[in-house]
Amino acid sequence: MKSGSNLEKILTAGHFAFTGEVGPPRGANVEAVREKAKHLKGMVDMANMTDNQTAMVRMSSWAGSLILLDEGIEPNYQMVCRDRNRIAMQSDILGAYAHGIRNILCLSGDHQQFGDHPKSKGVYDVDSIQLISIVKKMRDEGTFLGGDELNGVPKMFIGAAANPFGEPVEWRVHRLAKKVAAGADFIQTQCIFNMERMREWVHQANDMGLTEKVYILAGVTPMKSVGMAKYMKNNVPGMDVPDEIIKRLQGVEKKKVADEGIKIACEQIEEFKEMKGIAGVHLMPIEWEHRVPEIAERAKMLPRPKV
Amino acid sequence: MPDQEKKPVDTAAIASMLKKKEPEMKRVLNYCLRCSICAESCFLYMAHDGDPQYMPSYKVINSLGKLYKKKGNVDREFLEGIKGLVWRNCVLCHRCYCPIGIDIPRMIDFTRSICRSEGVYPEQDGGESWL
Amino acid sequence: MIIAERKPLDEIKDMVRGYKRVLNVGCGGCTSICLAGGQKEVNTLNADLKKALGAEDVHLEIDGFVIERQCNYDFFEALDEKAGNYDAILSMACGVGVQFVAERYPETPVFPALNTVFCGADRDIGWFEESCRTCGECVLAETGGICPVTRCAKGLFNGPCGGTRLDGTCEVDKDTPCAWYEIYKRLKAQGRLENILKIKPPRQWENQTRRSLVQEDYKQRYIG
Ligand code: SF4
Ligand code: SF4
Ligand code: SF4
Ligand code: SF4
Repeated sequence: MKSGSNLEKILTAGHFAFTGEVGPPRGANVEAVREKAKHLKGMVDMANMTDNQTAMVRMSSWAGSLILLDEGIEPNYQMVCRDRNRIAMQSDILGAYAHGIRNILCLSGDHQQFGDHPKSKGVYDVDSIQLISIVKKMRDEGTFLGGDELNGVPKMFIGAAANPFGEPVEWRVHRLAKKVAAGADFIQTQCIFNMERMREWVHQANDMGLTEKVYILAGVTPMKSVGMAKYMKNNVPGMDVPDEIIKRLQGVEKKKVADEGIKIACEQIEEFKEMKGIAGVHLMPIEWEHRVPEIAERAKMLPRPKV
Repeated sequence: MPDQEKKPVDTAAIASMLKKKEPEMKRVLNYCLRCSICAESCFLYMAHDGDPQYMPSYKVINSLGKLYKKKGNVDREFLEGIKGLVWRNCVLCHRCYCPIGIDIPRMIDFTRSICRSEGVYPEQDGGESWL
Repeated sequence: MIIAERKPLDEIKDMVRGYKRVLNVGCGGCTSICLAGGQKEVNTLNADLKKALGAEDVHLEIDGFVIERQCNYDFFEALDEKAGNYDAILSMACGVGVQFVAERYPETPVFPALNTVFCGADRDIGWFEESCRTCGECVLAETGGICPVTRCAKGLFNGPCGGTRLDGTCEVDKDTPCAWYEIYKRLKAQGRLENILKIKPPRQWENQTRRSLVQEDYKQRYIG
């Protein structure tokens, strides 16, 4: 075991993993986190705590992760390169580990221009691939990036994101390969809607032998409405929403749209369970934590294995 | 200054500028050996396949040298005429070497100042075909 | 070349208000070429300032003067003769020149009339594009001659990020090409993709202290 995290145990035991996600509040409201967490308890193997996503200031992800721990959910501590330099990163990793956090997700982060402080100074001292290698170095060599020895080694299970879409399409799998080479243990993908492209990407990853070295969790987001689907298609960079999805949602009565969205998500999950090279699903219900039990149930992901 | 272009050249002003630098100018005109050692030290001269128009000594003698000989008695046309020599043909990089110690770029800088004082300078917004 | 633009007139006005005699010094180097601080721009700014302050009943005596380069004291001789006659100096050079002028005349307040914006190239007359952040550790050899420090919004070294749009534009702006997509295309066309398949380790940033540089051939002269 590299870290002994629940996610690592689930994956190494060969179970199909099911992970969730919690966005921390835009304030110090602890109850908001606890409330969201309650819906996830027992439903997922681990939940991501996002790090100031879309560059909007929120409760810090390590603090949110601690609340998850407290609620009995294993956190996946997200860390973006936008806001901190290598000193702050390494220090936060040590602190997070000291408090029981065992998974980390290394991300570049959405550009600050999207957030509520668009003219802040982006840090990007290191990029996500370099961050992965730093966490790995700390874990496997027991030293800081600078080379000094650590007094207490953080044994993190290292995650990274992958986006199978966007130009240059042929490059996407190489980018995955770089993340694997840098030391990623697991990958959570961008929300997948274009299944055709996803199949192709996983196929390439299989061919390159990457799926033997890394666990890939496919990102699934249920569409809540036609408006949400259109918004994601047009306004979220890097998101690939095929027209069929929108048409399918438009094809049902208004009050059944959300149900149809969940149905699509469940169909995807069924396919991922069978797809060679996919080790699990990462469910990202945007502000829909309370529907997670229903989705988990309908996707036949329950009960979660105890390892 | 903007409507300076239409005014006749203030030759007295140029003469007094020249006066101040007389010793240096004399040195250029009297002692330059035409040895052409400076030529090969100028990267522009080399880059232009030895075009004499880019030879450091040539550039000074044919701009400032002429101004001095005419004691500043020149017209606008003359100043416009040497513009290419002192702007296009020299970037004031200070690379050139003169064995008798003439500071070529300084002389060219000075020539530019004289031109500027009469409102003659390159138009960076497209008016100059050679820029 | 260094690209700059004139500060808003109100800002410059506030700097010089209160000084009787001001000398506005243009630069014959970069800021002439980028049409921000050459002789023409000195004349224009002086006229604008006089007019604006005149409207407030403030009489400003302002003269213009241009030296060929404000970043080299060899060109300061003529300015040295004049500088002492003024209460304040405005500089229309880049930040380098402003500081050099201020260092030369430490008794005189020296103000910047320009905002120094970037190091870039001329796309056309009056149209400039940033191309280098003078990072001190050039990676262009590996990136097909396209600078990721400058042109990638996140300055990534192992890019592209997950936000690249489906059409290959950058997540921050749908009209700006993703630098990493451009790098990829060029390297692919040159058959040099292996350059970016390797992991680029965290770099050693050169931003700790003020940098100075003596070229190898001149080391003896200055350092011994
Ligand atoms: S200063 Fe002028 S003449 Fe001297 S080397 Fe440079 S370009 Fe040539
Ligand atoms: S002072 Fe600045 S603007 Fe003027 S030549 Fe030097 S670098 Fe260029
Ligand atoms: S990598 Fe970019 S910023 Fe750095 S020196 Fe090269 S061009 Fe300039
Ligand atoms: S989309 Fe491309 S240019 Fe923009 S931040 Fe991402 S990698 Fe950099």
